[in-house]
Amino acid sequence: MTNNIETTEVQEKKQYIVVKLGSEQYGIDISYVDNIVRMQKITRVPKAQPYFKGIINLRGEIVPVMSIRLKMGFEDDTFTNASRIIILKIEEQGKIGVIVDEVREVVNLGPDEIDKPSHDTKDGKNTFINGIGKNGNELISIFELSAVIDEN
Amino acid sequence: MDVSQYLEIFIDETSEHIQNLSDSIMTLEKEPENKDTINEIFRAAHSLKGMAGTMGFKRMQHLTHDMENVFQEVRNDTIKVNSDMIDLLFQCLDAIEGYLTIIKETSDEGSNDNEAIIQKLNSFLDGTAGAEAPAQTAVAPEPKKEAASAPDEKKFLTAELSETDIKKLKEAVQSGQHVYGMTVFVQKDCLLKAARAFLVFKAVEEFAQIIVYNPSSQDIEDERFEFDFSIYFVTEEPVDKIVAAAKNVSEIANVVADEMKLSDITHEDAATATGETTAPAVAATEPKAAPAPAAAASTQAATAKKQAAKPVTSRTVRVDIEKLDALMNQVSELIIAKNSLVSLSSSEIGIQNQSYQEQIEYLERITTSLHESVMKVRMVPIESVVNKFPRMIRDLSRKLGKKMELTMSGEETELDRTVVDQIGDPLQHLLRNSADHGLESAEIRKERGKPETGSINLKAFQEGNNVIIEVSDDGNGIDTDKVKAKAIERGIVTPEQAENLSQKEIIDFLFMPSFSMAKQITDISGRGVGLDVVKSNIEALGGDVEVKSKFGVGSVFTVRLPLTLAIIQALMVEIADEKYAIALGSISNIEDIPVSDIKYVEAKEVINLRGVVIPIIRLNQILDIAAPEEEPESLTVVIVQKGEKQVGLVVDNLIGQQEIVIKSLGKFINNSTKIISGATILGDGEVALILDVNTLM
Repeated sequence: MTNNIETTEVQEKKQYIVVKLGSEQYGIDISYVDNIVRMQKITRVPKAQPYFKGIINLRGEIVPVMSIRLKMGFEDDTFTNASRIIILKIEEQGKIGVIVDEVREVVNLGPDEIDKPSHDTKDGKNTFINGIGKNGNELISIFELSAVIDEN
Repeated sequence: MDVSQYLEIFIDETSEHIQNLSDSIMTLEKEPENKDTINEIFRAAHSLKGMAGTMGFKRMQHLTHDMENVFQEVRNDTIKVNSDMIDLLFQCLDAIEGYLTIIKETSDEGSNDNEAIIQKLNSFLDGTAGAEAPAQTAVAPEPKKEAASAPDEKKFLTAELSETDIKKLKEAVQSGQHVYGMTVFVQKDCLLKAARAFLVFKAVEEFAQIIVYNPSSQDIEDERFEFDFSIYFVTEEPVDKIVAAAKNVSEIANVVADEMKLSDITHEDAATATGETTAPAVAATEPKAAPAPAAAASTQAATAKKQAAKPVTSRTVRVDIEKLDALMNQVSELIIAKNSLVSLSSSEIGIQNQSYQEQIEYLERITTSLHESVMKVRMVPIESVVNKFPRMIRDLSRKLGKKMELTMSGEETELDRTVVDQIGDPLQHLLRNSADHGLESAEIRKERGKPETGSINLKAFQEGNNVIIEVSDDGNGIDTDKVKAKAIERGIVTPEQAENLSQKEIIDFLFMPSFSMAKQITDISGRGVGLDVVKSNIEALGGDVEVKSKFGVGSVFTVRLPLTLAIIQALMVEIADEKYAIALGSISNIEDIPVSDIKYVEAKEVINLRGVVIPIIRLNQILDIAAPEEEPESLTVVIVQKGEKQVGLVVDNLIGQQEIVIKSLGKFINNSTKIISGATILGDGEVALILDVNTLM
């Protein structure tokens, strides 16, 4: 019996990669993450959307890289040793990289540990978030990836 | 063995015959008395009938049979070709094509009998020589009967059999079973002999068990026999029944069979023992054995033709396009790997060894020629797409009540298979557009002093790394005032803005979605899905489309397509610290221009190069790169050209020529200006962007 309860609990939990943007922590659903790579030379693409930093060569594949910071209206990225590009794989649309300041850890969060965002959803930047996860004392904003990636 | 394995051949050959028929009927319309064409149509219809019959497509066979009958009469000069007949023939063709489409999808011909067409066909025959057609078929069996009595026909008695086969026969006879030998003659003009043989086997196997094949079943399956083959079977059924069943298969000239006695087999035994001597004997019986209702000359011609055709077919191989794509990808990867070796060898850390350098150069040559070979394999002439257009224009001419003529040139121009597959629709649109909107009615043409028959011209040719397809007409041309008015009416521009628009800008409105100029919506064009679709289809292939038009004189639509989609030779240039690739095919020359030579025309920079005034474009401005702090004394200008237009591109540095693999930027990055046509990975792993210079002109 106890075993059963445990397994169902595990199934409900989802894994999230916790990343930092400035002082805030964000969670990215791990099932969309293809790869995490170190910062590398990004080739600028003229006339692209301003939040696209350009394209990189990911083992022979061309992958566009966007700045979540610029997309969400934060100040521009400053690349450090901790900066990473998280390669997301979205069905049909292919791969896309997003730049984060730091990758912290992977956490398991069940639905009961995630609250719906309390803010007024009309406030622009909150539309990128679909929940607030609680991991111990820390709060993790869970990205709504489709909103992050899609044109708006 | 299964008929379905012939389906592909059948589909290919039928398409060829349909095309052939279509061309011939077009010719016939112009020259109704042309005997060669009439014969050609008759032959094509006959072949189609034969093939449809072989594959068991009864309805298709029926239709083509009646078509053939009509042409039989035309050949005999009992019926004259008239425009009704031409129309009907085209209907037939469409019906056959309909069958073929269904066959392609479902391997079955469907259930459309096309009774109406068949009735019309027969009404041509009625009263003229309706009785002659059946008479014709009645004549045919006669020589068969005669032939049946000839003892030479019983080839199964003299056939050379292997020892194991003889043993099998002997054992069967000795065990008291009824063993029969049977020789089947297929008609000389039979197209799918193996399929016929298969059908005969199937018919025989319903009543009997085949124990020996001569030639072997494998050889028969591979069509390695002349016009006859023998089988030996055991059965309890009367042999006549089996012979009748075998004869029921179409295109079988004759079937002979008899019971095999032990002596027959042993006689053969002796014959095989002497081996060498029987061979010429069999060969000698052959000419006699052949039931020859046709003149000897024609038989010879037919065999000669077959022999000539054989090597051609065996020299080509059908390859799935996906396999070619995979091969292409691998070659691309190889080139990237080669490029990194090249850059490694030229860098300082590389091995500065002469023989190493030589090997690298050798590798470079091999990969380049490998790439060229793969590209060539993928190239097909655009003929397969454009050859349906004359017919389409003919139909449009009828439908619109305008006289028009299509002339085509450069059908042999080759393009990558994937491009050819997708270019049909856009071209069709352009031709329809010319026919419907371009050409004026006969009265207006007369007023303007033009010939009554409007002419539409499709011209294809290669230009550098591009293939150009021009669709031109001598019609009305584009009335820019009307387009302007429409644009204002649609609220796309204000009347004030419209005043300042250039001719080209106005014409570009036609390529906007849902911008139809047709006053009346016809089923030919004018539904607002037209030129914008053409444009987006062509751009999806990496090409572009351009219009030149003179009101009252005509218009020219120029479609420019890249020869290849994957790998190109490019010139690498540097602007500030960014690297860009420019397709070598569009570069005409490279010049060093002193800054003092730059002149201004309409506040735009131009250079006067050997008498030609060429506008120059500062790439750093276009590409949002900060200008160098100090203007150098001279500029490196890459002169690119598109058709007759030339533009000079100012770059900071030339890096060199390189073979690059084109990769897409993906769907995320908004590339609406289309200046960047893709990206490529350089030898050192860095990414460079590919400039599409066509968008700069």
